[in-house]
Amino acid sequence: MNMPSTPDFAGLDNLFGYSAPIWQRFADPSSVGRFAPETSAVLSGEAGTPAARSVLRLQFRFEAGRVADARFQAYGCPTSIAVGAWLAEWATGKSLAELRSLKLAELRAALEIGDDRAHCAVMGEDALLALLAQYPEIST
Amino acid sequence: MLAAFPELAVSMIYLDYAATTPLDARVFEAMLPSLRPDGVFANPASTHGPGFKARAAVEKARVQVAALIGAEPGEIVWTSGATESNNLAIKGALEFRGSAASNMLHIVTSRTEHKCVIDTCRHLESQGIGGRAVRVTYLKPSPRGVVTPEQVLAALTPETLLVSLMWVNNEIGVVQDIDRLAPLLRERGVLLHVDAAQAAGKLPIDLQRTPVDLLSLSAHKVYGPKGIGALFVRRRPRARLNPQMHGGGHEQGMRSGTLATHQIVGMGAAFAVAQTDLETDAERIGTLRDRLWSRLQILPRIYRNGGDKNGGTEIVVAPHLLNVSFEGVEGESLRASLPELAVSSGSACSSATAEPSYVLRALGRDDEMANASLRFSIGRSTTAAEIERAAELVIQQVQWLRELSPLWAA
Repeated sequence: MNMPSTPDFAGLDNLFGYSAPIWQRFADPSSVGRFAPETSAVLSGEAGTPAARSVLRLQFRFEAGRVADARFQAYGCPTSIAVGAWLAEWATGKSLAELRSLKLAELRAALEIGDDRAHCAVMGEDALLALLAQYPEIST
Repeated sequence: MLAAFPELAVSMIYLDYAATTPLDARVFEAMLPSLRPDGVFANPASTHGPGFKARAAVEKARVQVAALIGAEPGEIVWTSGATESNNLAIKGALEFRGSAASNMLHIVTSRTEHKCVIDTCRHLESQGIGGRAVRVTYLKPSPRGVVTPEQVLAALTPETLLVSLMWVNNEIGVVQDIDRLAPLLRERGVLLHVDAAQAAGKLPIDLQRTPVDLLSLSAHKVYGPKGIGALFVRRRPRARLNPQMHGGGHEQGMRSGTLATHQIVGMGAAFAVAQTDLETDAERIGTLRDRLWSRLQILPRIYRNGGDKNGGTEIVVAPHLLNVSFEGVEGESLRASLPELAVSSGSACSSATAEPSYVLRALGRDDEMANASLRFSIGRSTTAAEIERAAELVIQQVQWLRELSPLWAA
């Protein structure tokens, strides 16, 4: 059955009312994937569990103490996916000190994450912390 | 290659006919005379010319509804829909029979019934009837969704007054063997209530042959208007009910309230159309449903919820329903990535506390698989092109979400 196309459907691509920054990253994320195993100076961090239907993996490739390139993979709701995409964008070009300075509130504000999805932002922070915890192990 | 989402949709593919159907054009036409200001507006209970005219329209509809299910017109009681019919059947039968019973009252039903049956049973368990306790057995269906007549018989006790079982499950489409169960319960003197909201117009129902005592019907699942339904109440032997809506004693005292002539006429017309079109609809819709399932096979690790015709015992599924779980994708993202499709989802979408489908959980699916499920329901207006497009979109988005996942290993 074809329903008529009306102005009401202008927002069809975000029917479920996600915030614009979440929807934009969910619908068209950048930096998706993972680095080839042989890539040097790459750190990975993972957070979340399949049982909670949320898993986020971040990978940063460092050059001269800064993130040269980032990748993410996510299994979870649109907010979780957007958190991964945002962290990959945000981290690119940042130094270790800058990476360590991320506040949960900043991540939540950037994606307009409400209280009901705060756990998605926490998962993002956890993945970042897990990644940064390995930093001393590589030399750049 | 990672695909972005498809181009902005210009049209919506509606595959949620089990949730509700649009009015059939023939039904719409039939309703108009009772909606017009100068039309058939009088109270069907009034004893004057316009009232008699409205009464005649109501009685014609009663004949039409009765005809589809092999009932007598006098066995049809109008209600506001299947939820009310189910409430009236279960509470009404228990209240009537319960007043004569001396012990505890017992109901047998299943874990995959519609919420309005389960909730009604839970209410009776918590409140009791006339100072007596009510106990309910919720039968667990097989992993394919079947509750066998043997399972029902095994659950009966001397206190069992009523069995309530749906004919066609609204989420998975599995057809319970009511034709075999009904005579077995009749022999044992146990009342049988059947929720047939998803069965009427989809499967042949003949209550002259199948001794069901109470049967719930809805108009809007059958291309009729919302807000109107009916309860079949058998006359021979008489199934007796205490009313749940008290008032002017309409509908043989079982359901008071001024009759909604236009809605009733619409339900009658919808059931008449369903009777004419049942076979051709079922065949065409079933073919489209099978086509959709076969197109999705390109995806590995997808699972059909509810019976199918593969495997040892043939399990019958209503022609309009297909329920599929997709391993490796999260349900809310799956649903959000398919804005062009109007389908039902097993995911606990916006609420953090909502549980994934209790029906799929009752079949033994874990939370993840119950969550990552879609219910496609096909209807009279569905086209082959829509099925092709729907399959294409689902395949594309499931593949994309799996590619995005750190857990998916193809």
